Amino acid sequence: MFTDPTFLFIQTLNGLQLAMLLFLLSVGLSVVFGLMNFVNLAHGTLYMLGAYLGLTVYNHTESFWTALALAPLGVMVIGMIFYVTLIKRLQKAPPLKQVLVTFGLIFVGLDTVRIFWGNLPDAIPQPNLLSSSIQIFGETYPSYRLFIIALGLLVMVVLYFGLEKTRIGSIIRAGVDNREMVSSLGINIDLAFFGIFCLGCYLAGLSGVVAGAVFPVEPGMDMSILILTLIVVVVGGLGSLKGAAVGSLMIGLAETYGQVFVPEFASVTIYALMVVILLIRPGGLFPVRAE
Amino acid sequence: MKNLFSLERVTTVVIIIGALTFHQFAGYYGHEILAEIAILAIFAMSLDLLVGYTGMISLGHAAFLGIGSYATGILTVHMGWSVAPSLVISILVAGLVAALVGLFVVRLGGIFFIMITLAISQMFHAYFLKNREYGGDDGMPGIPRIDLESFGLNSFDPADFALFTLFVAVIIYLLLDLVTNSPFGRYLIGIHQNENRMRSLGVPINRYKLAIFIVAGTIAGLAGSLQAQHMGFVSPDAMYWTVSGIVLIMVIVGGTGSLVGAIIGAATVQLMTHEISSLTEHWMIYMGIFFIGVVLFASDGLYGTFARQWRRFREQRTRPETQRMDGDA
Repeated sequence: MFTDPTFLFIQTLNGLQLAMLLFLLSVGLSVVFGLMNFVNLAHGTLYMLGAYLGLTVYNHTESFWTALALAPLGVMVIGMIFYVTLIKRLQKAPPLKQVLVTFGLIFVGLDTVRIFWGNLPDAIPQPNLLSSSIQIFGETYPSYRLFIIALGLLVMVVLYFGLEKTRIGSIIRAGVDNREMVSSLGINIDLAFFGIFCLGCYLAGLSGVVAGAVFPVEPGMDMSILILTLIVVVVGGLGSLKGAAVGSLMIGLAETYGQVFVPEFASVTIYALMVVILLIRPGGLFPVRAE
Repeated sequence: MKNLFSLERVTTVVIIIGALTFHQFAGYYGHEILAEIAILAIFAMSLDLLVGYTGMISLGHAAFLGIGSYATGILTVHMGWSVAPSLVISILVAGLVAALVGLFVVRLGGIFFIMITLAISQMFHAYFLKNREYGGDDGMPGIPRIDLESFGLNSFDPADFALFTLFVAVIIYLLLDLVTNSPFGRYLIGIHQNENRMRSLGVPINRYKLAIFIVAGTIAGLAGSLQAQHMGFVSPDAMYWTVSGIVLIMVIVGGTGSLVGAIIGAATVQLMTHEISSLTEHWMIYMGIFFIGVVLFASDGLYGTFARQWRRFREQRTRPETQRMDGDA
């Protein structure tokens, strides 16, 4: 069974699907980590809020696409409130403070969700357009999962061109290299980073809505994904788009193959992978700045 | 050198007297909480060695608590050892694992140290979560308590067990007071304040970091063994990363860089959690807001703030006198 190519192909698709969800999450976290020197443990909470807001929008409109369009914007607004009230004043604080404040936010987020939406798991129904299955090499595969992969790739491409080919992209890359220098050229780098932070929140919310249609929407869904996302960010290198992409693929595939082939050690493998990579390359695979 | 009757030591003595008085009058519930707090105080003190003294922010300290717990569980339940030797071996195992982990992690700094300790602790969590032999996610029940008959105590009486944990906590405090006030402890504080300067003075930084990482892991293992005995049970939850987060909060709430701060933090957070969770199902939101508030507005912690106020009070009390004397002259 393990050497069956179609089986392997299906598992690879599953791995890619997880990888794309992780990419949507980790790219925002990585940017906040690397560019703003901010450790945001509450990033998973934004993902959970995305899923719940998506659920609420769906319940009111009966439309998955409306949920997909509106919920991430809601998460972005919540992110903006975070930024103004907490993150802005914590940017220069030592990592310890940032870790603990955002750790506190996880607690607050978890109970907020419980208060507004209750304890029971729920789900966002998949859109009709994508609820069927597709035949690939004689295997049926849910088309919604292919949609996740496509969406992830699309975001990846858009971000790549945005960062490499546009003026704003070059401001941000320059800001990562040398923040003071960019400021002294008369560019409002804080504003640029604020925009990037909002984008990161938006993507976290987006992945929450998308994931809400395949995984259960429940309090605590933030915890499991947070750790995977942190691993992706650290493995890939802080602040690096390429790192987030490669890291997501590695962790997504390692996790999926691990679950299938060595279930006993599956969850151990990804942590071991991270430890090994950090020991060989302490800054991650593609560090933006030399540490 | 700190004087013999430093504010910290006097505060600790007051706390110990308070705990013993409480023990005298408390009932079943009080004794259970007292044992919990004593164990968590040991755990928090061990983390403070890393965070407060050396400046190594570990978000994976629960791994060693869990390893101490599991070692005790495996030795007693699976291998039929009696508890006393199991306790000793559990402590040694935790220390050994800390040595192995420390060899790799001490060279990393800042955010990478936070992340690698988090990942390694989650690795242990994942291993025990999947391991059917040791109960998987159900955990391992039936862990006995240490035999204290030769001391005239019955360890299954909550009052006696609380007294035992309190005694161990005091021993650990005395031990760590000795360590932190030794030249070794001074080196650690030096590393925290200015690592580069210490390095240029020829101090082998990583060796000192490794040494304190092992000490911290060993003592966390002791706390873990006691916790397993107290609850009679261990599950992977004991080493989940939020446990590491909460003990870090305890250290901050009490005040980093002083052992008594860790004790005060452990007691405060544990009591608050108990009280608030008995009032409302949604205790996490209140604790979360409390955590954020402490970190933002009182980052010196309870003891740190108290110590600062006390110093100011002392200064104010002496200053007018010297002025008056000046006037007289």
